[in-house]
Amino acid sequence: MTSTLHRETLENAAFRAGYGALLVFMLLPLLVVVVTSFSASGRVAFPPDSFSFVWYVDFFDSTQWLDAFTNSIVIGVGTALLATLLGVLGAFGQELETDSVVGSVVAPVVLIPLLIPPVILGITLLLYFNEVGLRGSYASIILAHTLWATPLVYFVMRSVFSRFDWQQLDAAHDLGAGPVRSFVHVVLPNVKHGIFVGALLAFIISLQEFVMALFLSTPGTETIPVLAWTEIRQALDPMVSVVSTFLILISVGAIIVAAIATNLEWVSKQLS
Amino acid sequence: MSETTSLPQIPTSLASLRESFAGQSSSTRALLLMAPLIAFELLVFVIPFLILLRISFAEPSSDLIYEPGSWSVEAYAAVIDNILALELLWSVISYSFLLGVVVTIVTVVLALFYAYAIWRSTGLVKTLLLFSVVLPLLTTLVIRTYAFRPLLSPTGTFNELLLSVGLLSEPIQFVPNTVGAVIGQVYIVLPYAILAIYSVLATMDWHVVEAARDLGASRPRSVAEVVVPQAMPGIIVAAVISFAWSVGAYAAPGLLSENITFALHVEELLLTDLRYPTAAALSVIMLVLMLAAISIMFAVLNRFGGDFDLA
Amino acid sequence: MSEITLHELEKQYGETTAVEDVSVEIEDGELLCLLGPSGSGKSTTLRMIAGLETPTSGEISINGDDVTDDPAYERTTSTVFQDWALFPHKTVRENVEFGLKMRGVPADEREQRAESMLERVQMTGYGEDDPTNLSGGQKQRVALARSLAVNPDVLLLDEPLSNLDKRLREDMQIELREIHEDLDETFVHVTHDQDEAFTLADRIGIMDQGQLVQVGDPDEVYENPKNQFIESFLGDTNFVDARVTRTTDDAVYVDTDLGTELVLPTDTEPAVDEGTALTLSLRPEILSIDQPSADGGTAADDASEQQLATDGSSRTAVTGTVENVIYRGSTVRYSADIDGTSMFAERTDATTGTLSAGEQIRLEWNGADVLAFREDGTRVSL
Repeated sequence: MTSTLHRETLENAAFRAGYGALLVFMLLPLLVVVVTSFSASGRVAFPPDSFSFVWYVDFFDSTQWLDAFTNSIVIGVGTALLATLLGVLGAFGQELETDSVVGSVVAPVVLIPLLIPPVILGITLLLYFNEVGLRGSYASIILAHTLWATPLVYFVMRSVFSRFDWQQLDAAHDLGAGPVRSFVHVVLPNVKHGIFVGALLAFIISLQEFVMALFLSTPGTETIPVLAWTEIRQALDPMVSVVSTFLILISVGAIIVAAIATNLEWVSKQLS
Repeated sequence: MSETTSLPQIPTSLASLRESFAGQSSSTRALLLMAPLIAFELLVFVIPFLILLRISFAEPSSDLIYEPGSWSVEAYAAVIDNILALELLWSVISYSFLLGVVVTIVTVVLALFYAYAIWRSTGLVKTLLLFSVVLPLLTTLVIRTYAFRPLLSPTGTFNELLLSVGLLSEPIQFVPNTVGAVIGQVYIVLPYAILAIYSVLATMDWHVVEAARDLGASRPRSVAEVVVPQAMPGIIVAAVISFAWSVGAYAAPGLLSENITFALHVEELLLTDLRYPTAAALSVIMLVLMLAAISIMFAVLNRFGGDFDLA
Repeated sequence: MSEITLHELEKQYGETTAVEDVSVEIEDGELLCLLGPSGSGKSTTLRMIAGLETPTSGEISINGDDVTDDPAYERTTSTVFQDWALFPHKTVRENVEFGLKMRGVPADEREQRAESMLERVQMTGYGEDDPTNLSGGQKQRVALARSLAVNPDVLLLDEPLSNLDKRLREDMQIELREIHEDLDETFVHVTHDQDEAFTLADRIGIMDQGQLVQVGDPDEVYENPKNQFIESFLGDTNFVDARVTRTTDDAVYVDTDLGTELVLPTDTEPAVDEGTALTLSLRPEILSIDQPSADGGTAADDASEQQLATDGSSRTAVTGTVENVIYRGSTVRYSADIDGTSMFAERTDATTGTLSAGEQIRLEWNGADVLAFREDGTRVSL
């Protein structure tokens, strides 16, 4: 009896230690990035020997980084708008006609880009945009990112629409609201959080996407992750940590905002 | 249950919507709403892949990247010859697949464990665990890989730690090395794998596990007998994503290892050597090989997991 | 021998106490029902017996062995869950065989045993079915077969019938009773349904707010409830506020909202003081219904007259107006307004003297059948 008690306690302890270690594994790299951004020296070491804000001062003096930042925002906003438009309309259409042939083809086609290694997508799109003369434009990167962001918006909206009780719409019609007014007063309040979270996810995906952007960007359209990558490959200095800290902060902010708009568990289910 | 109760509502709501779109059938409206999405997928996904296929069959040219309008299997022949002769491409492809397999196994095991922990936890711990998954997921993989340099380098945090407590007498070469590439790539795909499995576990009834324990299954046994079979759809998605992305891994091997993967090689072909048909042919071959591998994986996992389909 | 002893069992979740100081001896072969409203701790108690929860303090022994710290998979108990918890990815037969497989029983023996268990619960021929396609009643039977297959010393049932509709539930109650008689094993059955408890139980344990308030034979618990909670939980009754006006050696006199003084005969020296606030319980079955005599006038006044008979009984009657009449199949329920207080009574025979709303009604009872409770809910022994 004591041996089984011992085993249960041991199992519990091992279980906790196991996921505790994984928790550290998940968060430590990001912590390293944030902490090293405050390094005083030019060497990226964790923990740093001394702390300062010199690299932050440098960041705000660097036109190269600020340009990349602007590029990232332009592309991110463009992706969010396009992906949200396509995803919301597509999911709404699918909801209206659940058993159409087109609908059953659309869902997997929208999903497949997520399962293809980004390198292959990058190559394919590079060759394609070369052919149609879009290479080097913001549009090329926005379209590529939309290919990844749309499935997320689409599936978020599918789940939002499927939870919506469509009888409410009948009730609104019954009470005398026209199609536009019933959409604005009944459907929209129920799905606006979903649309918002979808757009936010699309923006973050675009902001953080790297491989396709690497293939498609030219010096004028380099995004932050692409510039960070080229910098890292040349020299490892804490400037990249500073930039990364900003990106991480933006993601943390987005998660908090999305969690307030819905809840974290729901968001994580949508991401999967 | 909720499906069966909500089903009868759909026709009535459709009927009322039909009235609001007077004169149009519901399928026309649905089609109109889906049209932008369909057009987008055609223009930015389907056609580009057809063009990739087309270029892979073009004749290489020394000054024009490829010969427009030409048809040739030269690029494929070159790639296949190189592979069969066990030359550079063979090592590139075999290394990519090896990385894919190792990363997939490690990732799925860790993801199952972590997803189970999230499922079983409550309150603040659950929030923290979920946060620890979502945050890396929403952080660019450049940062995710970069962070391992100061941690894993010979003068990095881990080695210093192990040296100072006397577990090591000289630093281990984690990076640049395959070990570093595996760690980095696992870190990249793990959040997706965890969420894929967790989303299935979250719908599962804990009482089923209790029933197994009650009937005499020990803790590990109850996981193997009850949790894993039911989580199989999530495990399959996790495995497919981990495998596909790891075979095509770019950042982690590029930054943490010295071995050349398919992604690094094809980038060189494309951006440095400008050998478009070869790059396209190699991409097509890789895609076919990956699809074959994934099909085998599906077949094997399905034998354990019962019915599962992508839709 | 499979008796279970719970000793000062306690379970806390953080700040909240789910189960508090539960001690009971469950005899070998007994069918004990733990009855209580949701959140009363009855399921938690059952889960601690199963080993699915670890008690914060206290001890559990089965057949004299202390099993408090044994994990569920090493106990000789088996649980039927409220939602049945069938393994959805296994066939019905694999479900039933599961426990035997865990015990290392060879495949052919398992199959035989599973087959005979399915036969016992009348599910022969469903072995290869997917349990998710079965009806609630069938799932219930499979869950029962799965638990019985391991031949447990103790079968624990955690509200297994609560998800079934009324008819099926009543059929299953009888079947469970029969299986219990056949097997002669110890059953602990948790339910919130008093009818179910009365149908099944050898003994009933009533739980409220984490405590085991009373354990006893069904008739004992019903007729001799320990407190007002049990009285209200076990069936519909009329609670009437009262105040003690005077006590004598053989009776307590109380003032009530019924506009009349009532006499409660006592056997012993009553342990209440003058002025104590009481709640009286007048069960519908102690009330007899009459129409007041036709000449009216005096009958209403006479109605509250009462005298204490020498045999300790005391007839009391009140008169009021019928508010509404509800036909409930075999019984008719009359709600009446008695001097501003609402009371109800039932009558099984609907043919004689049917009353309708607005008519006068006379309710009569024996004061010895009335139960009295103090403000803290404890029973006044009369």
